[in-house]
Amino acid sequence: MSEVALLQLIGLTVVGLGICILLFIKGKFLRVVGFVVIVLGTFTLIALGVPQMASLPPAIETFDIAEVKTPDDLASIGQKIFFSKGQCALCHSIGPSESARCPDLKGIGAKLAPEFIYESLTDPQAYIYLDFRHEGLPKEYPARMPYIHKNPIALSQQEIYSVISFLQKMSGEPISVKIEDVMNIGKENEMEVASLTVNGAP
Amino acid sequence: MKNHGIIENLKSMVPTVKPSSLFGWSVFWALVLLPALVWAQDAATQAMSVEYRDIPGLGSRNVVWVVAQQHLLLAGFVLGVPIFAWVCEIVGWKTKEARYDKLAKEFTKLLTSAYATTALFGGILLFLLIGLYPKLMAYLSDIFFPSFIVYCLLFLLETVTLYLYWYGWDAMQGNKKTFHLFLGFLLNVFALGIMIVPNAWATFQASPVVVAEGTAIDRAWAATWNPTWWPVNIHRLIANVVLGGFICGAYAGIRYLLAASQEEREHYDWMGYVGNFIGVFGMLPLPFAGYWLMREIYQYNQQMGITLMGGFLAWLFILQAMLIGVLFLGANYYFWMGITYRIPGSERSYRRPILAMLIVLMVCLGVWMTPHSLVASLEEARKMGGTHHPLLGVFGVMSAKMTVANLMILVTFMSFIMYWRAGKQETAAWAKIAKAVMGALLVIAGIAVIVLGVWGYFVPAIIRINYFSVAQVLIVLFVMVTFTPLTAVLMKSAKTTTEMVWGRMPIRAGYALVSNAVMVILLMSLMGYARSSSRVHWHIYGVMRDTSEYAYSPALGYAAAFMSLNTFVFCLLVAFIFWVATMGDKGKKTPDQEEPEPAKIPAGVTPAMAGGAPREKA
Repeated sequence: MSEVALLQLIGLTVVGLGICILLFIKGKFLRVVGFVVIVLGTFTLIALGVPQMASLPPAIETFDIAEVKTPDDLASIGQKIFFSKGQCALCHSIGPSESARCPDLKGIGAKLAPEFIYESLTDPQAYIYLDFRHEGLPKEYPARMPYIHKNPIALSQQEIYSVISFLQKMSGEPISVKIEDVMNIGKENEMEVASLTVNGAP
Repeated sequence: MKNHGIIENLKSMVPTVKPSSLFGWSVFWALVLLPALVWAQDAATQAMSVEYRDIPGLGSRNVVWVVAQQHLLLAGFVLGVPIFAWVCEIVGWKTKEARYDKLAKEFTKLLTSAYATTALFGGILLFLLIGLYPKLMAYLSDIFFPSFIVYCLLFLLETVTLYLYWYGWDAMQGNKKTFHLFLGFLLNVFALGIMIVPNAWATFQASPVVVAEGTAIDRAWAATWNPTWWPVNIHRLIANVVLGGFICGAYAGIRYLLAASQEEREHYDWMGYVGNFIGVFGMLPLPFAGYWLMREIYQYNQQMGITLMGGFLAWLFILQAMLIGVLFLGANYYFWMGITYRIPGSERSYRRPILAMLIVLMVCLGVWMTPHSLVASLEEARKMGGTHHPLLGVFGVMSAKMTVANLMILVTFMSFIMYWRAGKQETAAWAKIAKAVMGALLVIAGIAVIVLGVWGYFVPAIIRINYFSVAQVLIVLFVMVTFTPLTAVLMKSAKTTTEMVWGRMPIRAGYALVSNAVMVILLMSLMGYARSSSRVHWHIYGVMRDTSEYAYSPALGYAAAFMSLNTFVFCLLVAFIFWVATMGDKGKKTPDQEEPEPAKIPAGVTPAMAGGAPREKA
């Protein structure tokens, strides 16, 4: 018996029980209980009547750094990190967006050198804007950007370079990050990347 | 994992103090922080080795689901009731009518009984979460630890204030009444705090923001101000009033059914009316708050919005429409029964409008419940070439649904206005003009809402969402804020033609009140499931993935069975709590006072909440 059929059977039994209470029991409080039971049983049966879809999680993707052969492979990993572990998409958009709370990153790989992007990610307060919108001395206007290599995001250097590769690729720039350099950075061979394909329904 | 972080956070939280007060501060922080520190460290240490634990046979998620739902429902009741208990007390104090004071006290009695159980379930929930989800709890405590302290302090203050408010009720009459009212005000302020602090934890899970470097307080504050925090705060605040009102109504309904004397029937009939009134009063603006919340979710993350409204949760909103529809019908039906049975003779003049309203409500419900696409199995969908019918296309769309939701609110509001005006005759010279203006306004508003709804089919979704839907909401709100004071002024000088008679409602009125409460509880359970499922396989959306075996969201049927179970358990729990509370009253019975004296309603006086006027003395 399938789970739905079992639940339908239970629902029908519950509704039947409620009807029996209303028909044969005189106690007022118990009759109210019977009424509630009928309502809840009916609700469950209706809910069982609509299409039953569970939302299954997508498989956890892993990649082996040894299998990265081309800069495009690196950019592909960077894209996944951008939308998942890196949490970049929580604030940044790629292209204009009303909901983006931080700068649009479209074309950023063409505008900024990879070294500058790296510094922006790991030392976001390196360049502080000054706010002149008030009287007196200008105030420092620190970036709201987190330190991407520290907790809670804590991207490894390899992961950061992957993201930079992605930013360059999606800006139409040649990827200047060298695979050999990335391979030599750390000893960790595997990085777990969670995909942001949120609707995992089959 | 986060051990060092918590200690650093604690260091950064310790304020600069003078040596003289050092001892006091030390004792204070030791008392407040030490247990929490030990727990947080334990949680963090455990998180290094264990990410999840399970309860064999039952499943950790199922257990947490039941306990969290019970806690949330009880908390909704406990935080909603003080609002209208306090308002009732103010009404009694202003009008000098003792029955309102007694009603407020009766509400508070239910509140005190439920308070301890709420805390108990909160404690059980906390232990379960620490034990079953150590990794998640360590992460959340690392970010929100300062707000844990604030929450504990608020809880202490709320408890002390509630004790003073309840036990000091009789002692603080007369000159001390204003102080008692002030305590009621404080009670509500602390209750609001108790609600919004955990809301920050829950909304952060759904709409996290990047938590940058800074002190512990900076980080907690940044995480607290996430995009859905205030929309959820407002939505829950109103929903709690609705829940509290309808539960008090159901309590009164059951007591009405069980009443042994006419006096009791009169009292609980009146209490049921007030409960239903409060529920309806809150229910009218609730869809607007829900709309705002959905807008914020869409703005925060369109994918999450699509998952909710167009993804695997799309059918959930059909069930929601059904429950809201039944709730609207139940609330209106109760008003209509009130007109028929409490105001003899009125039913003749209101029979046609009631029939028209019923038809409008049923049509609206039909439109709202129309699904976007056909109910089809995967195989059938494959044969059709998609979920939509190849010839008929899409069925129920948002433009039509928003329109009927607004119309249903309008109809319910008019039911209330009708009840208010029943059995009275306006004496003001400008009454005819005012009624004509109101009638014209109502017709124009109805037509405008429909026109915008139809127009919505022909414009891009963004225009409809940003302008048309907002305009519809504003139109309905305009009607409500215009009609209410105008009717109040009209009724102030109106002559009572038919006296309101309490205690004559049929048995089905009691069942209608129970049905309303069940619908609200189911709705809260349903939308809780929706909010949780919209995060799909994330504990914290986009930040911390759920890697447990329960990372999937169950299908609606299974979830509905759980919602029904939760609703039934909650109803039994509340019935038990209220039974225990009233058992105390029976224990106090003396030979001279066989039954607790119900609050008597002065003859010919209609409820002030319905804008009733005292009977004109001949």
